[in-house]
Amino acid sequence: MSKARSAIIGVGEVPTGRFPERSRWDIIYDTCMEAVCDAGLDKNDIEGVITVAPQAQPRLTAEISFGKIPEELGLKNCKDVCIGNAGGASTTNCLRMAEHWVTSGIAKAVLIPHVTVHTTIPLDEVIGFFATAGMDLQWEYPFGTTYNGMAAMMTQRYMYETGTTAEELASVVVALRAWAALDPNSMFFGKPLTIEKVLSSPMVSTPLHARECNVLADGGGAMVVTSAERAADITDTPVYKLGHGVRYVGAAPVLRHDDSMRESWRGAFKDAFEQAGVTKDDIDVFEFYGAYPMGQCVMLEAAGICELGDSGKFIMEGCTSPGGKVPCATIGDAVGRGHTGSGVSMANYIETARQIMGKAGERQVPDCRLALATASGGSGMNTTATVFGREIR
Amino acid sequence: MSEYSKPLPAVQPWSRPFWEGTRENRLLIQECKACGAKIFYPRKACPECWSAELGWSEACGRGKVYTFTVTLTGVEEKFAGDLPYVLAMIDLDEGIRMMGNVVECDPGDVEIGMEVEVVFERVTDEITLPKWRPFRG
Repeated sequence: MSKARSAIIGVGEVPTGRFPERSRWDIIYDTCMEAVCDAGLDKNDIEGVITVAPQAQPRLTAEISFGKIPEELGLKNCKDVCIGNAGGASTTNCLRMAEHWVTSGIAKAVLIPHVTVHTTIPLDEVIGFFATAGMDLQWEYPFGTTYNGMAAMMTQRYMYETGTTAEELASVVVALRAWAALDPNSMFFGKPLTIEKVLSSPMVSTPLHARECNVLADGGGAMVVTSAERAADITDTPVYKLGHGVRYVGAAPVLRHDDSMRESWRGAFKDAFEQAGVTKDDIDVFEFYGAYPMGQCVMLEAAGICELGDSGKFIMEGCTSPGGKVPCATIGDAVGRGHTGSGVSMANYIETARQIMGKAGERQVPDCRLALATASGGSGMNTTATVFGREIR
Repeated sequence: MSEYSKPLPAVQPWSRPFWEGTRENRLLIQECKACGAKIFYPRKACPECWSAELGWSEACGRGKVYTFTVTLTGVEEKFAGDLPYVLAMIDLDEGIRMMGNVVECDPGDVEIGMEVEVVFERVTDEITLPKWRPFRG
């Protein structure tokens, strides 16, 4: 059973989209100040900064790694800084390390920022970064791998094994974009899609169409974490971390026995649910971060919500969409939000916190008390699952 | 040959025999002399038992497509001239899985389970890439 040790008590975020004029440090200021104010803290209450490592931005990574954020923001009582890099699972690691810092006496409150600006990086450089990140430079990259290509191969196999149709896969994007359309911080705010529009978009890498792939975007967010003990004294809406589970899948996609990641998700969910003392039926919202549409399907199956191969139909029927009986990915995952490198998981955790805090606006799931948030790093090297809740259990 | 501008494999000391093999049109698989494991990709120590007593055997060069994708766009400039191309995972008869390209056929004809055989594409004096074409018998 859970004995919550840490809680998210404040969040801040800027809109995701293409904003070349908005600098990286603009974003750091705006998100960090918002998160600290949202927590009801003073800047000098922050005693640690653990930053999500930005991808493809080496200068920024160096600046953050070597301590610029507390100095820039004037965090007078900051005791230490650290940066966490596990690609899309970086934020998960930052939350874990923050839990250690707030429970071991290093810091009473920790700030976790993330920022990414893709649009000012030359296009070929960005494509090159993502073509090699998460791929093996000896055994995969020389053959022309890309993230889209890897996801496409996994999706092709998934469709072959489960009988999932192109329409069902497209409906995943429709469901995600229905959520994104309600999110002012999404690059697709107010822009829902239809299955026809997904399937009529150009084929990128079979079986994935353009609208089934991610659009690289700029964005950032920040969270404030404190101990479960202190949380309720600081805020009326603490978001307790109740349970956590992870599995390592493997670095090179070609070597993964669990290439759909289903068994790895199953293991992570089992551990997270057990630690939190809950079952899937207790969860009010499933904040799945799958990066590509197939991820939503596989996680529904791994969580035991759908039988193998039934998830596409389930999603096409609207069960995971706004108003559906199993709300999933309420910022629309990376496909609906815009892809900010390692920042999608930050956006996903922020949304999870908002849902528990009751601050999710039009996307708010009624009386949301328990949420499951997932993340994965690289091209799918691991599966992480975390249960958050409104009360210490 | 000198104009080959696509990325070359980042060869490690313990994988060098593999690439020496492809240069002679032979597909070599690393094997552990201690536990008998067939190892891909090649390692400095056996990933099953950590033995450093490793050797090589020649694969028959046949396999089946486990999964694939026809890439049509969204690649680095250096791969753009190859579009459309087939990226695939190949299950070798010896029980290992390799990434590669399926060549010498219409990309639209590739399917999961398709039988393929290795062909060797000499791209530089040093490097020959193993590729795959539909099995001709």
